Amino acid sequence: MLEFRTQGFNGYGIKYSPFFDSRIAVAASANFGLVGNGRLYILGLTPNGIVAEKWFDTQDSLFDTAWSESHENQILVASGDGSIKLFDITLSQFPIQSWQEHAREVFSVHWNLVGKDTFLSSSWDGTVKIWSPNAAASLTTLPTHSCTYSAEFSPHSPSVLSSVSSDSHLRIFDLRTPASASNHLTMSIPIHSPPKPRMGAAAPVGIAPSEALSHDWNKYRDSVIATAGVDRVIRTFDIRAPGAGPIAVLPGHEYAVRRITWSPHLSDILLSASYDMTCRVWSDGSAMGVGAEQLQNTVHQDPMFLGGGREMGRMGRHTEFVTGVDWCLFGAEGWCASTGWDERVLVWDCRAVMQ
Amino acid sequence: MANQVGRNSQAQERLSQVSNHLSGASSRKGKQALLEKHPDDIVVTCALRTAITKGGKGGFKDTQAADLLHGAFKALIQRSGIDPSLVEDIAVGAVLAPGGGATEFRAAALAAGFPVTSSCKSLNRQCSSGLQACVDIANAIKAGMIEVGIGAGAETMSLQYGPQAVTEFSELLEEHKLAADCKVPMGVLSEAMAKDKGIPRAAQDAFAAASFQKAVEAQKKGLFDEEIAPLTVKWTDPKTDEEKTITVSRDDGVREGITAESLGKIRPAFAKDGSIHAGNASQISDGAAAVLLMKRSTAERLGQTIVGKFVQASVVGVAPLLMGVGPAAAIPVVLDKTGLSKDDVDIFEINEAFASQCLFCIKELGLDEKKINPKGGAIAFGHPLGVTGARQVSTLLTELKRTGQRIGITSMCVGTGMGMAAVWVAE
Repeated sequence: MLEFRTQGFNGYGIKYSPFFDSRIAVAASANFGLVGNGRLYILGLTPNGIVAEKWFDTQDSLFDTAWSESHENQILVASGDGSIKLFDITLSQFPIQSWQEHAREVFSVHWNLVGKDTFLSSSWDGTVKIWSPNAAASLTTLPTHSCTYSAEFSPHSPSVLSSVSSDSHLRIFDLRTPASASNHLTMSIPIHSPPKPRMGAAAPVGIAPSEALSHDWNKYRDSVIATAGVDRVIRTFDIRAPGAGPIAVLPGHEYAVRRITWSPHLSDILLSASYDMTCRVWSDGSAMGVGAEQLQNTVHQDPMFLGGGREMGRMGRHTEFVTGVDWCLFGAEGWCASTGWDERVLVWDCRAVMQ
Repeated sequence: MANQVGRNSQAQERLSQVSNHLSGASSRKGKQALLEKHPDDIVVTCALRTAITKGGKGGFKDTQAADLLHGAFKALIQRSGIDPSLVEDIAVGAVLAPGGGATEFRAAALAAGFPVTSSCKSLNRQCSSGLQACVDIANAIKAGMIEVGIGAGAETMSLQYGPQAVTEFSELLEEHKLAADCKVPMGVLSEAMAKDKGIPRAAQDAFAAASFQKAVEAQKKGLFDEEIAPLTVKWTDPKTDEEKTITVSRDDGVREGITAESLGKIRPAFAKDGSIHAGNASQISDGAAAVLLMKRSTAERLGQTIVGKFVQASVVGVAPLLMGVGPAAAIPVVLDKTGLSKDDVDIFEINEAFASQCLFCIKELGLDEKKINPKGGAIAFGHPLGVTGARQVSTLLTELKRTGQRIGITSMCVGTGMGMAAVWVAE
């Protein structure tokens, strides 16, 4: 396990470069992101450990970051003052572009993985905005009317995107639909809908809505999205059957789940970061052979457990809330990096923590 | 400095957000959560009132409460465009009407065009009856008992104010100290409370004069025009005994040129050395008000214009002799329930039963006087007992909208020792 200290700054988001296996960006904020400056770290993994190759200070807290998919040196940050900034890491100090439209804190930024020419942001002001790095103003604004913690483009289509927000809903937008009807909104799935009743388990009771903090598109199954949030439970949904409820439910975290991300290598593996100071590796039970035996054991234990998934392992070395986690896209599957309020970045191999 | 304040509240909001994540509160609280729109919000799509007129002299002095209510209902149906057959229940607050007014209010609803399927009840929680009516309807909608309802209030103090409104106390009640306190007249107990809490006459007169001045200015600017539904009634001229038909569209209790000095000359009403008089207490008045409530999803389905939402209400009991402190007891409870701080609230509509008790509550809660009753209050235009709670809704929502503000509280003290408060959001 490699470690780096973001002295004086509490981590909020972490992303591996899609171009280099040795480069990691960390969005961090002074004073736990409540008030004060933000700092974007560009870290290099070297034979001598992790070194800060560069950092950029910002006026307000930073809550998320995303690498450009089209330019290896460009990177976005989401700022507490409502701005989105684009940095070129070959330059020093100042961003090369800044967009100020959101009225409140920006919580997530994400680059279009297929189109590569647009990116999005989501904010506490209840909107998701689509941007082009070449345009001074946003291209589209999609209202959610609810504090939106996370928004993402589909990794399978350049015009489909999704968001989760504090109103406990997963929304799917398709930019190919006419804007007039419902601002491109094509689907709104209540995350708190109980699983479908099934044999041998108690009928599910009503589940209270709770804030959804994170979600991610599966990289192999193009209709599967995982969500997680304040109710501590990770769920997966198949957007082909939006009314069917979750297809997998993974309880286990002891506090709210702050970030989840599907493996770039394996279709059933998820990584989560939580306020309970752990990162956990999960299988959602969809891979052949993994679930069958587990399903038998869990059905009678917990009516909430669904889909035969299980926790594969956990990393408990953080000493404060874990806020960000990301997979390395290159090399041996399983390497990942996490950051949190303990002012630390940890780079580790999840195979080492799996049972 | 202003910037600093902004930063502090921003840090506070970010902190409460993280703590919400940790507590996992399924019902989120705080300003931000309040401003969000959800399909199951209870929203107001129309709130209006008749003018409020002077008891015994004003434009409605010869009009029955049910007729005033009928006028408010007709205006509500016409302005909102609601299909009357969709209204499932109506609650009407009234304090003085014999039998609670149950019979004539149901009749008024039918006469106004509601079909027999729209039910109607009357209720009495003294001065907060109008608010209680709105809250009852909101709660019935929230619980799924009804889908669309009206909270209202109607009162004619001209025709029904008097000793007959209270039944004689039995020996049993008379012998119980607290119980017997319940029938001490408002003026007498407020006088005692003003003395007890040290609210000087000068401060009361200044507060009352400000209420008049604010109301005069609001009337000149036409700030009440949107909420008042003009009503045509019969009126007997006291000089000639001639019956005329008049249209009443403004509050006739509002008087120009009143200052703290001019009020200072009036003789106290309840005690020789007292501080309370007709000029710094609420006026005796007639009027009616109505508020149309439903879920946001229903409003959107019906194409109703949403003007605000009902968030939460509180009711708290206090000692009967200290009934004036009611708002000071009820407002902190509703703030706590909604996770708001008093600074998050843009306007407080606190009923001015007496300048003394209203001032006490403002001081006790440490409220900014600029936020209190910006268009004046009951001292200037009157307090038709059962109406006030419903009247405040239209007064509050129109002013929030006009000034581009969002969050308001309506509150009042309640005879026999209670306080009630409710949080509303303008949209």
